[in-house]
Amino acid sequence: MNTTPDIFQAIADPSRREILMLLTKDKHTINALAGNFDMSRPAVSKHVKVLYDAGLISITDQGRERYCELKADGFDDIKEWLNYFDKFWHQKLQNLENLLNKL
Amino acid sequence: MQKDIVIKWHLPQPVEKVWDCLTTPALIEQWLMKNTFQPVVGHKFNFYTKPIPKMGFDGIVYCEVLEVIPHKKLVYTWKGGSSPDNLSLDTILIWTLTPREEGTELLLEHKGFKGFKNYITSIFMGSGWRKHISRRLICILNEMK
Repeated sequence: MNTTPDIFQAIADPSRREILMLLTKDKHTINALAGNFDMSRPAVSKHVKVLYDAGLISITDQGRERYCELKADGFDDIKEWLNYFDKFWHQKLQNLENLLNKL
Repeated sequence: MQKDIVIKWHLPQPVEKVWDCLTTPALIEQWLMKNTFQPVVGHKFNFYTKPIPKMGFDGIVYCEVLEVIPHKKLVYTWKGGSSPDNLSLDTILIWTLTPREEGTELLLEHKGFKGFKNYITSIFMGSGWRKHISRRLICILNEMK
């Protein structure tokens, strides 16, 4: 089983994006989230776990309830990918320029 | 709204020379990465670099050549992820070479950050929840434009 957090995988699924949307309004319990979907609570739980593993949400226990909340920092990683490639290509093109000057 | 990477780069060398650097494995390795590239449409190849576990990247870029127009255009897929069965970064790389009086204009387009785009699209497609989006998220999205 692969446990590496994978943000793109996490947000590629429509149900999980729906969960993220719900969480942009307010924190929700897993039960409350499940109330918005046709799927079973364990299925929702599974999606919540993927989002949690990807670092996009946090889960806090309050009494008997588990509250899910959006974790803003998690979204920085998505931005990081794009920044990463932007920097990556600028650096590589500079390498290419240097190489061509030597050839 | 989409966020592709587009970079234009001017090189003083002629297109033939630049093309060689884009399509000869030993040369590609010198400026980009170790690779198994061949300039043949349909050829599947890899780039090898350092893994970035934090981003779910195993250090191997899985590619397939889609288009080869010598001295003009080179297109290949650029897929990555935490394992070959889990390629969540499904993008495409397009190199376009244009001869200029003083060398070559090299255009690089890195497109199709799909998960990312789907997410952005879904953010803007809804309406009822829109005014409720947390301010932080709006800030992040604004920065992404």
